[in-house]
Amino acid sequence: MKRILLLFLSVLISASAFAQKRYDQIKYPELNEFKKADVEEFTLDNGITFFLVEDKELPLIRVNVTVRTGGLLEPEDKAGLASLTGSVMREGGSVNYPADELNELLENKSAYISTYIGFGSGGASMNLLKEDFNELLPVFVDVIQNPDFPEDKIELEKIQTKSSIARRNDNPQSIASREFQKLIYGEDTPYTTQTEYATLDAITREDLVDFHDQAFVGNNMMIGVIGDFDTSEMKRKLEEAFGSLDAGTETNLLYPDIKYDYPSTVNLVDKPDVTQSTVFVGHIGGLRENPDYAALQLLNEVLSSGFSGRLMQTVRTDLGLAYAVFGNYSSNINYPGIFYVGVMTKSSTTAEAIDAMLVEVKKLQDEPVGKEELAAAKDRFLNSLVFRYDSKNKILNERISNEYNGLPSDYFDQYVEDLKKVSSADIQRVAKQYLKPEQVQILVVGNAAEIGDQLDKYGTVNEVDITIPTPDSGEEEVAGDATQGKALLDKMSAAILGNAKPESIQVKGTVSQVTPMGNMDIGTDVNYNYAEFSMTAEMNTPQGVMTLELKDGSGKIKMMGQEQPLPPTATGPMYAEFETDYLNVSLKKDQFSAEFIGTEKIGGKDFPILRISGDNTVTFVLDPDTFLPAKSRSSSFNPQKGANVESVTEYSDWKEVDGFKYAFKQISMEDGTKTSETVVESVSVN
Amino acid sequence: MNTTKYVKTLLILLVVFVAVSSTTSAQNLEEFEKKVTEFTLDNGLHFIIIERHDAPVVSFYTHVDVGGIDEPKGNTGIAHIFEHLAFKGDDYVGTTNWKEEQKVIDKMDAAYRSWLYESYKTVPDSAVLNSKWEEFKSLQEKAKSYVKNNEYSEIIDRNGGTGVNASTGSDMTDYYLSLPSNKIELWFSLESGRFLTPTFREFYVEKEVVREERKMRTESSPTGRLFEEFLAVAFTAHPYGRPVVGWNSDITATSIQDAKEFYKKYYVPSNITIGIAGDVDPKQAKKLAETYFGKMPGKGVESPPVTTKEPEQRGERRFDMVETSQPVLMIGYHGVSETDPDFEALSLLNRVLYSGRTSIMYKSLVEDKKLAQQIQYADGFPGTKDPGLAVILALPNSGVDLDTLELAIYDEIENVKEGGITQDQLDRVRTNLRANTIRGLANNMGLAVNFVNTHVSQGDWRDVFNQLDRYEAVTVEDLVEVANKYFIKKHRTVGRIVNAES
Repeated sequence: MKRILLLFLSVLISASAFAQKRYDQIKYPELNEFKKADVEEFTLDNGITFFLVEDKELPLIRVNVTVRTGGLLEPEDKAGLASLTGSVMREGGSVNYPADELNELLENKSAYISTYIGFGSGGASMNLLKEDFNELLPVFVDVIQNPDFPEDKIELEKIQTKSSIARRNDNPQSIASREFQKLIYGEDTPYTTQTEYATLDAITREDLVDFHDQAFVGNNMMIGVIGDFDTSEMKRKLEEAFGSLDAGTETNLLYPDIKYDYPSTVNLVDKPDVTQSTVFVGHIGGLRENPDYAALQLLNEVLSSGFSGRLMQTVRTDLGLAYAVFGNYSSNINYPGIFYVGVMTKSSTTAEAIDAMLVEVKKLQDEPVGKEELAAAKDRFLNSLVFRYDSKNKILNERISNEYNGLPSDYFDQYVEDLKKVSSADIQRVAKQYLKPEQVQILVVGNAAEIGDQLDKYGTVNEVDITIPTPDSGEEEVAGDATQGKALLDKMSAAILGNAKPESIQVKGTVSQVTPMGNMDIGTDVNYNYAEFSMTAEMNTPQGVMTLELKDGSGKIKMMGQEQPLPPTATGPMYAEFETDYLNVSLKKDQFSAEFIGTEKIGGKDFPILRISGDNTVTFVLDPDTFLPAKSRSSSFNPQKGANVESVTEYSDWKEVDGFKYAFKQISMEDGTKTSETVVESVSVN
Repeated sequence: MNTTKYVKTLLILLVVFVAVSSTTSAQNLEEFEKKVTEFTLDNGLHFIIIERHDAPVVSFYTHVDVGGIDEPKGNTGIAHIFEHLAFKGDDYVGTTNWKEEQKVIDKMDAAYRSWLYESYKTVPDSAVLNSKWEEFKSLQEKAKSYVKNNEYSEIIDRNGGTGVNASTGSDMTDYYLSLPSNKIELWFSLESGRFLTPTFREFYVEKEVVREERKMRTESSPTGRLFEEFLAVAFTAHPYGRPVVGWNSDITATSIQDAKEFYKKYYVPSNITIGIAGDVDPKQAKKLAETYFGKMPGKGVESPPVTTKEPEQRGERRFDMVETSQPVLMIGYHGVSETDPDFEALSLLNRVLYSGRTSIMYKSLVEDKKLAQQIQYADGFPGTKDPGLAVILALPNSGVDLDTLELAIYDEIENVKEGGITQDQLDRVRTNLRANTIRGLANNMGLAVNFVNTHVSQGDWRDVFNQLDRYEAVTVEDLVEVANKYFIKKHRTVGRIVNAES
């Protein structure tokens, strides 16, 4: 009986040990002790420092090279050089392992090698199965030491980079963070340098080779190795593989100062294809080396630490104004960070969300953080510290990052101690000292029509122009002979017009357009009015009749009963072509300046070249016998290609119509490739 | 596939002979047999516990076998709204007085529904609309007075929780969290609380948050708009054609009552699988599971399956979106579900075509012809539970015509259909598949997610490794066969973003 009772009791006890509890009734056991990974450090004669950590959980090895270099070092007129160097190192293959061979070798073994150069550091890494280590280590070293930089891969990377330049205004978040950085740091600092078509064009293979040779030397390198290996054996292999690298000179990374005088500005990027405003509000931030760093980090915790932060609690949970709301007083190691609060909210609540965020910023200055809120903020930080070291890889990475940034090895422990001591008063003091909610810059990327006048109350709204700059034509502007030019233009005009003065004509014909699917014939019926400088073109396309109208400086397109205005970027090139039409130039010859710029040999004869400039520029190559244009040439920027395109039109089959001459056959080419052929059936004067 | 059994056996033998480390999967499986503990509670809730004692941390993964495809008509987005609400706490966490709060919530919902029904009338009475709306608003304010703002998240954060997150897809709803390993019981307390006694707290404010999420991911993003349009065009009958985030009018139409019905149908034990990986004692975990989840109701209840099958497509579907952003090309072919015998072959074929620098498309379109800036693919889009799409997303380089890019892609596909695949290419993608499976075993959350998802889709977590053997069995001939079977014009949808200026 007694035994049964005891058994019963023990059941009761164990049951109560596992009774359901509310979160505040649970007693937590001590956290299991665990040993942080040991890091073995050694340095070679050429300056490379290695950090090794054994991790035998899986049969893998990873090697990570950190290199002291960065986009910070590239000249402004060659922006993009660092990043291009970093990618072509890998994409172009090495001297001993050309790209195709390298790719197959690695992918056959499911091994990865990558290289990069970022803003303030560069590097290379390799990730492989341990059984392939001996074979692939020399390959990795060759990629680092002897990249081949073949011209065709440089060209490929440039094409790809240009394509991403063309796409850089597609995403509202990336526009917002890019433009906000420009507002804070200014346009002319390395912190905001932007790769453009022109800066890419200026980069040569020589530049890449030099940039690489300066950067990837022993004295700039730290290498972390982690995985399933034996340390002493690994040391020997690394010494052998990396020992031959040049020591070189350690790169000095100089971060220029920033002048910031806390302006208050309001800025808008109009993006008509969005329904939501992406907003950043803020000013300059601080440096990591600051006795108030710990207090500022706790301020960040209170303001914006996920769902526990005040911004999320108010703007998202209480007000339902946003899915994403964020903020941070950021402190960088080498140059000042940025203080910002930001939100993505529907156009109609743009100002409401900005105000709600600013209220939270001011509250940090006006009221001390409550005891419980401060304790919770510290607990969040301290209790999650274990995740900082929960893998050997994180420990290794932190060690290398500290070394790279010149931070003492105990810097993080010191920070934890500082953080524990921060008081409510400290947070309020740093909020007052470092945050200036009255002197912020506001940036909104959104739909201006939907936003309306909401931003006016913050000040005069600057419209930020994010148009992507087009490169210069690249042609040397040689001043031609104006006197000879004038005489040639007179001759051309007389040859074309005779005694006629056609103000408005109708041209019917067929355009045979070259497309990837073969030639497509389009019947056209165009009315040109040179007096009014307007035109209407009817085109019989396979999709139906399409009407294009250019008038009063704008244009529209009609198709299947639908009418659509054309953006200026589309009508611009059309007007340019209309302006430089040989009839228009001949009729209005006094409105153009003309230069004779040389001759071109065609069929053994010298054809004079006439450059005509109005709002646009065109060159005509004239037949020396008739003074009719044999061809015209113009160069314009093609936003789709991200480059200037040279258009050439060849004229032939000149026929007389009502006293003037018209070319009944025209062949158009772009960059040397035929794009269309036009055969005119009839021309009549209206 | 119609290779005869004899030939197939021979080919399997040959492949096993050629493949260097196909034994890895067997070794891994043996090792994991020792680390994995599985159990199912009486009510049908399944747990997979994976021991990994390297560091004192644990990851928790709750997988609910419900997603966008299970939503009733008129309530698209409800699975996702429910996922958001799961962060509002339970009858203890997040409230100062649940008994009172609950009454107000019910009244508030009734007021909202009467406002809603009035608004749907042919001629709504504006006086009724106004008064119902005012009533709803004032009840909403009253309900709010009981709320402890974000208490659920605060408890987790304060206890050192990281990676608190959730996601809703077409096929599934997932909840993630990692904690220091001495806080395991906290997870059991909070997780059982929110799924056993959901409160639907702050429902209507949260719907506005969801609408902002929709604006961010879909409406204000060119590719977001393209994806939504693409699925709507590619699927005529199957709910894969509907957006997981929901149509705007459906978000408006969804009430707490709808959400409660949804919960009752789909948040039942047999429909939930939980993975716990890290520094965890499986015996203790089992006791805690019984204590906290044992009384979850719904034993024997099966969630209704999706019964609609997508009918065979009768012709190619195409659409262009004229936008101010740069051009994008998306092509999708109807494919198979993850349990289809062709799944492995189709998946390997896609890797041969698109995965890595040596893949057919990368070499041809990115490197040689320089037509594409980027080319990406997905095997099962938007899901794999039912037959989804094999999709290609290609960004043309500047100046490259979308037609040129599209035709170049078809050229490569046609070439593959005519047999343009080598044994080397197939072996290479298999090697990568195997090695990447191993790489995925190195972190707690990855393990929990991988093992649970495999259990749900294939019936056994061991299939993480066993599936590799099925991949070994696929031959070059199989790849050519599936290419011809699935990559056909009339089963294709093509969606494009066309730049307005070009």
